[in-house]
Amino acid sequence: MNKFLYIIFAGFIFFSSSILNALEVIEILGGKASQIPIAVMPFKSFGSQKNIGKINSVIKSDLGRSGLFYPLDTRGVAASPNSDKEVNFSQWKSLEAQFLIIGRIDFVQKEKVKVSWSLIDIYKQQTILSGEYVGKNNQIRAIGHKVSDKVYERLTGSKGVFHTKIAFVEKYNNQKYKLNIADYDGYNITSLLDSKMPIISPRWSPDGKKIAYVSFEKEKPVIYIQEIATGKRKLLANFKGNNSAPAWSPDGKRLAIVLTYNANSQIYLINSDGSDVKRLVRSRSITTEPSWSPDGKEIYYTSNQGGGPQIYKFNLELSEVSRVTFEGKYNLYPSLSYDGKLLLYLTQDQGKFKVALQNLQSNQVLKLTKGPLDEAPVFAPNGHMVLFVYKDYGNTTKIGTVSINGLKIDPLPLGNRQVQEPAWGPLKN
Amino acid sequence: MVKKSILLTALLGILVAGCSSTELQESQPLNPPQPELQSMQADDNTGTAYTSPDLNLLELRGNPLLAKDKRGIYFDFNKYVVKQEYMEVIQAHAKYLNETPAANMKIQGYTDYRGSHEYNLSLGQKRSVAVKEALNSFGVDDSQIETVSYGKEYANLDCVEQNSCGEDRRADIVYTVE
Repeated sequence: MNKFLYIIFAGFIFFSSSILNALEVIEILGGKASQIPIAVMPFKSFGSQKNIGKINSVIKSDLGRSGLFYPLDTRGVAASPNSDKEVNFSQWKSLEAQFLIIGRIDFVQKEKVKVSWSLIDIYKQQTILSGEYVGKNNQIRAIGHKVSDKVYERLTGSKGVFHTKIAFVEKYNNQKYKLNIADYDGYNITSLLDSKMPIISPRWSPDGKKIAYVSFEKEKPVIYIQEIATGKRKLLANFKGNNSAPAWSPDGKRLAIVLTYNANSQIYLINSDGSDVKRLVRSRSITTEPSWSPDGKEIYYTSNQGGGPQIYKFNLELSEVSRVTFEGKYNLYPSLSYDGKLLLYLTQDQGKFKVALQNLQSNQVLKLTKGPLDEAPVFAPNGHMVLFVYKDYGNTTKIGTVSINGLKIDPLPLGNRQVQEPAWGPLKN
Repeated sequence: MVKKSILLTALLGILVAGCSSTELQESQPLNPPQPELQSMQADDNTGTAYTSPDLNLLELRGNPLLAKDKRGIYFDFNKYVVKQEYMEVIQAHAKYLNETPAANMKIQGYTDYRGSHEYNLSLGQKRSVAVKEALNSFGVDDSQIETVSYGKEYANLDCVEQNSCGEDRRADIVYTVE
């Protein structure tokens, strides 16, 4: 990986406290690489020969996607140890593993499994974390994600997001659209909505129970809020002209939305029950793509008041506008990390459209992707990963994750689906 | 404060009139078909309304400046300035609209694939309004024109290079009845 990029980034994320923790962990471990090498052995099965999927590949994939870990290839390793007492530490050291995950699956009842696992520190030569989960056979991926979350939190000091959900829009049969929900890694897809008209801008409510989105089904864009559990939905905004770009306030009571009566899109605030609509900023140019700061005091947005689109912010207490992006002529689609310290957006760089990350204290900018046609970046709820859309060689749009250290870009395994407009759901309690 | 309440009143009005565009289409007067015209236009399947004499459809179909293949107004990347080369066509549409008060036009704005869905939705709207304003400059009343945007929703994914995306950067002139 590009060392220069990494050095910039090490300075760049200095202010991002939880990532700092992660880096400190790496420092403490004396890793010469920037990622933690970890071995995840196949979990042994007891009580049945039933193939319920490989839990260790779920964990490997999770930790790898984060960009903070380097899952080692363990195919050449002969025996899988059952506990830290059986571990041949010098063997693992020679493989440069710093941590090892081992585990077993017991078929305790019909269709029920118990998964026991341990995280072993190769240098300390001891187990530093272990656990047990019981679930149905078909929950093996979910159990794997839970193990990943525990390991991630133990080694980085930050919550893992491997047990979260995402939403995205699928375009199929050329001109039909579905609003889908899936596990964060693209598995277990279910559909919330099927439409002959475009769907854009899905946004999870902060409690994860509803999704606001824009549908063109009334032959123009209008905003709906739909309950995920019941499928019930209601129109939030169907004013004259275009209704679009919903953004939930952090407390979930209000949304910033964009209404376009005439030439210029304008940002309004509206209660989540549809009441009390009021304009946020009056502008003689396009203002759109509102996104709240996590403290609810500022709204970042895109405006072309200076010609090309740039990102600005509006302070709700001071009623003050200030410009946020200055590098490049085309920056849009802002969103903020959960700690409000990093700004994520789409930038045009030498004709290519790339995902950019800006440190809001130093204003340093890091381009996370290379383009050429990337778009729609959104943060994971812990701010360590980003979902984004890219165009692949098959002339369709795909969704992938990129770690915010830029070290790991990974597609979601969604097959040939044409997918776009991702949204990342909140952490589950 | 006064301004605010005016805005709110306007908003409430808009709320009530939320479906004005479809109402406009539904309330379009449909005159009974006239046999003579029907035989003249036998190959045209656009429905019963095309025979409405007050829509001056012979002009709409006969004037080369109003031809369907000239109803796309094209723009540069991230721009919404109507180029001079389209003014002759726009002026011809303005003349038709001015002479045909019953005619209604929809201007549909589009963008190329690059960038975000939301910003392009706004950009497409700027393009459709720019064409509307050009028509306004030739005396056309807003009541005859509806502006809409589909942004990048129907854009060609093949577009990568700066110059191969132009077909999608446009505003289309569409008549409600023709």
